[in-house]
Amino acid sequence: MQGVWQSAVISAAFDVQAHEADDQIPAGPSVIVDPPDGKLPYLPEAAKQAKLNWDQRDRDPVGYCHPHGVPRQLVPPFPLEVVQDGDYFAILSETEHSVRVIPLNGRPHRKNYWAWMGDSRGHWERDTLVVDVSGLNGKTWLDQAGNFVDENEKVVERFTMTGPDRILYEATVSDPTVYSRPWTMRIPLARRPKNTELIEYDCVEGERDVVHHQNLQRQRAK
Amino acid sequence: MRIRLLCLLASGAVLHAATGDLRGVWKADGKAYLNLETAGVIVDPPSGKIPYRPEARIRVAENFAKRASADPDARCFQPGVPRATGLPYRLQILENARAVYIVYERAHSYRILYLDGRPHNDGLPYTMGDSRAHWEGSTLVADVASFSDQTWLDGAGHYHSDQLHVVERYTRTSPETIAYEATIEDPTVFTAPWKLRVTLRRQPGAELTEDECEVDSNGARHHVAPSKDSK
Repeated sequence: MQGVWQSAVISAAFDVQAHEADDQIPAGPSVIVDPPDGKLPYLPEAAKQAKLNWDQRDRDPVGYCHPHGVPRQLVPPFPLEVVQDGDYFAILSETEHSVRVIPLNGRPHRKNYWAWMGDSRGHWERDTLVVDVSGLNGKTWLDQAGNFVDENEKVVERFTMTGPDRILYEATVSDPTVYSRPWTMRIPLARRPKNTELIEYDCVEGERDVVHHQNLQRQRAK
Repeated sequence: MRIRLLCLLASGAVLHAATGDLRGVWKADGKAYLNLETAGVIVDPPSGKIPYRPEARIRVAENFAKRASADPDARCFQPGVPRATGLPYRLQILENARAVYIVYERAHSYRILYLDGRPHNDGLPYTMGDSRAHWEGSTLVADVASFSDQTWLDGAGHYHSDQLHVVERYTRTSPETIAYEATIEDPTVFTAPWKLRVTLRRQPGAELTEDECEVDSNGARHHVAPSKDSK
């Protein structure tokens, strides 16, 4: 799976659920495959919080340059690089320089570890990489629409190559204080051309809007 | 068929012998992160002092005086190069055929040191520089250019401009150590290139810990470790 990849569902970065087009927001289908209705199974209180987040979308933690969390790391319409080296599977994101170096050697989860990107442990089931993620700090959102998780979030991710240029990425999220049941999202990742290089993406002090990120990609004369 | 397989195996063995192996989790010895000139890491010039232009020395003194609030690392921006190597935090090196990858604990920075011989992306203000590398025997040599002027070289206000150019050499000197050498030039700040040397020590069984920035109610930026309190 080594190489540079990118989510093939641009609209999911804006909202993982089905949504209409809006100003600078492309319409898109839900990437939630379970429950079958494609809707996040919020508990009543959490549904209120999600609505509040929607009204305050400028509070998106990624807009403050924080790491994406999981599963959002795989969702933005920007490149990420997968590196496989011995006992490690690493995912390097261009945006926010979110990074996970995932041990595959059976190492147990860390205790009392609460991180933006969580604590990931992987293993292979035939040709599928299965990653168990805990230790998430609950400050992250799932998308720009304010869908969210809290510190009880746990994720099981599955990465499966369905062809030389596609990875099927599946994440099952459980968070019993936010959702009434676990739910699963599915996104194809598409391989970028061989020479694609990640460009540094950095934040500038005092700027708190995605639009103002110092995105060198945009400055790059092409 | 069998002969082709043998040839493949043989060329693989030769390829491996012709490169080093830097993989693992490492941390710098010493106190380069505090002050390069007092840490004893500058090996050229022999004086151990950075050959600043006279006006640049004045700027270093100003930086030093306001370092508590002005040090970009203390405000948790990416540390820059070569500062990232000398910090008292871990880094992990991964390798594949395309590149050598260095993931730093500090500010969850990473660098991709491309091995494919392609040229630099010129003229972009990379905080961590744009790195193009090749193996010279068992030494990885990285040419790092296209810097911003936003990072310091240590916690004492030593600095550079966007004309910074660094050549790094990583040599595995034992199972437990990498010798790291950086030759630093920046004609707008220094009168001559100069060189520092740091030992990286293997951290058996260690794993990188996330380091992220949070802004407090006064607008100050702080490093936050992943503890229960940061939940």
